[in-house]
Amino acid sequence: MNHLVPGGRPAPAGRPPGAATARRRVRSTCAAALAVVALLGACGTSEGTASAPAPSATAPAATPTASPPAAGPAVPDVPVQDAGLGSVPAAAPAPVRLVVPDLGLDMPIDAVGVAEDGTMEIPQDADRAGWYRFGPSPADPAGATVVAAHVDSWTTGIGPFSELREVSPGARVEVTTADGVVHAYTVREVAQVPKQDAPVEQWFDREGSPRLVLVTCGGAFDREVGHYADNVAVTADPVVDGAGG
Amino acid sequence: MRARLLTGTAAGALALGLLTSIAALPATAATGSTAKLSVLHGVPDLTVDVWVNGERTLDDFTPGTLAGPLDLPAGTYTVAITAADAADASSPAIGPVDLTLEGGGNYTAVAHLDGSGTPTATLFTNDTAPTAAGQGRLTVRHVAAAPAVDVLAGGQPVISNLTNPNEKSLDLPAGTVQATVVAAGTTEPAVLGPADVPVTEGALTVVYAWGSLEAGNLALATQTVTGLHSNPSGVQAGQVGLAADESSPVLPVALTMLVVAGVTGLAVAGRQVARRATVRR
Repeated sequence: MNHLVPGGRPAPAGRPPGAATARRRVRSTCAAALAVVALLGACGTSEGTASAPAPSATAPAATPTASPPAAGPAVPDVPVQDAGLGSVPAAAPAPVRLVVPDLGLDMPIDAVGVAEDGTMEIPQDADRAGWYRFGPSPADPAGATVVAAHVDSWTTGIGPFSELREVSPGARVEVTTADGVVHAYTVREVAQVPKQDAPVEQWFDREGSPRLVLVTCGGAFDREVGHYADNVAVTADPVVDGAGG
Repeated sequence: MRARLLTGTAAGALALGLLTSIAALPATAATGSTAKLSVLHGVPDLTVDVWVNGERTLDDFTPGTLAGPLDLPAGTYTVAITAADAADASSPAIGPVDLTLEGGGNYTAVAHLDGSGTPTATLFTNDTAPTAAGQGRLTVRHVAAAPAVDVLAGGQPVISNLTNPNEKSLDLPAGTVQATVVAAGTTEPAVLGPADVPVTEGALTVVYAWGSLEAGNLALATQTVTGLHSNPSGVQAGQVGLAADESSPVLPVALTMLVVAGVTGLAVAGRQVARRATVRR
C-alpha cells in the first residue's frame, strides 16, 4: 500500500483513462451489481423520499446492502482531485480593446467590478470601456462578456458609446484579449429599455452560449437623480470560424 | 460524469432487463430532488476505500484529495471507510455513519482526525446562499488533531477560537486573503501558513485545516463551490445628460442656469451695494 505524507501530496489523483470504462464494462455484466441496483432503487424511492429517515441508531457495518458486492468491484466513476491550495485554474485572458469598425469606435477596456451602490462599476473616463471582471470573458466557453462605458461623463464629455445605438444588426465587433487574440462578433440585437426593465440577469448571464453584451445609457436624462432613464444594450454573437472571422 | 453511482448502474440493470428494479427506477428519477455530496480525505497516512450503502464508491482514496460532487437522490446513506482494498465494508476504520442528505443541499463529508487524533467523519453543510455581487464566501473548517485556533488575515484575527470539528464563514470582497492559522489567542507562531487563499467572486471557498499538530503534518486543503453569484443591480452609464434623447430639456436647463447665474449675480451685486452703504453709514 502506498502510504503518503500529507506534505508531499501526489499529483491529482485519478484512474488511468481506460480504467473507469473497463470497470463499467465489468459492472454491467456483473450479476452482483443487479442486487445493488435493486437495493439502491428501493432506497431512492421509499426511504429516500419518505419523511422518516433511516434508523438513527448506529447501523452495524454489515447492513443488508453490504453483502452483494462481494462478487466484484462496482466502483462508480467519481471525479477526484487534489485539494491542495494553489490548484485553482487560471482565469481566461481579460479583454483589453474594443473595436466597432462601422462606428469608427476603438476603445481601451479596463477590468471593473461592482460600485458601492451595487451597480456595475464604470470607468470615469467615457473614452474607456469597462469589462465586468467577475463574469465571463471572450475565451470562456459559456456566458456573456459584459462591456459597458459612460455615454457621457463629467470629466470627458460625450463618449464613443453614444454612437452605440446607431449600430446595425450584422455589424462586426472585435474584442482583443490580453493574449493578443482578436475575438470577432456579429451584432444580433440593439435594444433600448427603461432601466427598471433592464434584463440584468440576461446581460450578466454566466451560462448559455458565449456572447458579447455592450451596455451604455440613453433616453431622457433625469437631472434630479443624475441618471439616464434607459439603457442601450447591444448583443453580439461570436463569428463562426470561416464566416469571415 | 456525475450521478453514475445510481444512474450508471441503473442503465446497466435496464439493459439486462432486471424487472424487479424497473418499477422502482422511474420513481427514483421522478423525485427530482437531489443533493450534492463531496468527500474530503483528511486523515494523514491512510489510503482508504469509501463505501456507500455497502458499495465501494471510492477506491484507493488518498489523503488531501477531494472527491465529487456526486448528485444523489435525497435520502439517508450509510457510509463506511475501510482500509484500501478491503473485501467489503464489514470492518470499517471509520463509521459506518448515516448521512442524511436533503434535496437541494450541498454537503461535504470529511474523514479526519478528531481533537485527540482518532479518525472520525463529519458531515458539513456547504452554505450556498447567494453572495452579493463582487463578493465571495470563505468557510474555514477545523478538522485537525490540534487545539482551538484563530485565523489571521493581514495580521488581524478574522476567525477566533475555532475548534475541531467546527466551521466559521465570512463573506468578503473577491480577492486573495493571506491567511495564517495560529493557536487561539495568539498571533504567532503560525501553525499553518501564511497561505494565499483565493476568495472567488460568487463562489464558496472552503479551507480545511487537517492533519495532526503533534505529528507535524498539519496542512491546508481547499474546496470550491461555484454558482452563488448575484448580478450587479444595473448599469448606470451616463453622468451629464449631454447625450439625452429629448433636446427640449436642454434649452430650459440652459436658460435656468443663466437665470440662476443672473439672479445670483444681482444678489451678490446688491449685497455689495448694501454692504458698501452699511460701511459708509
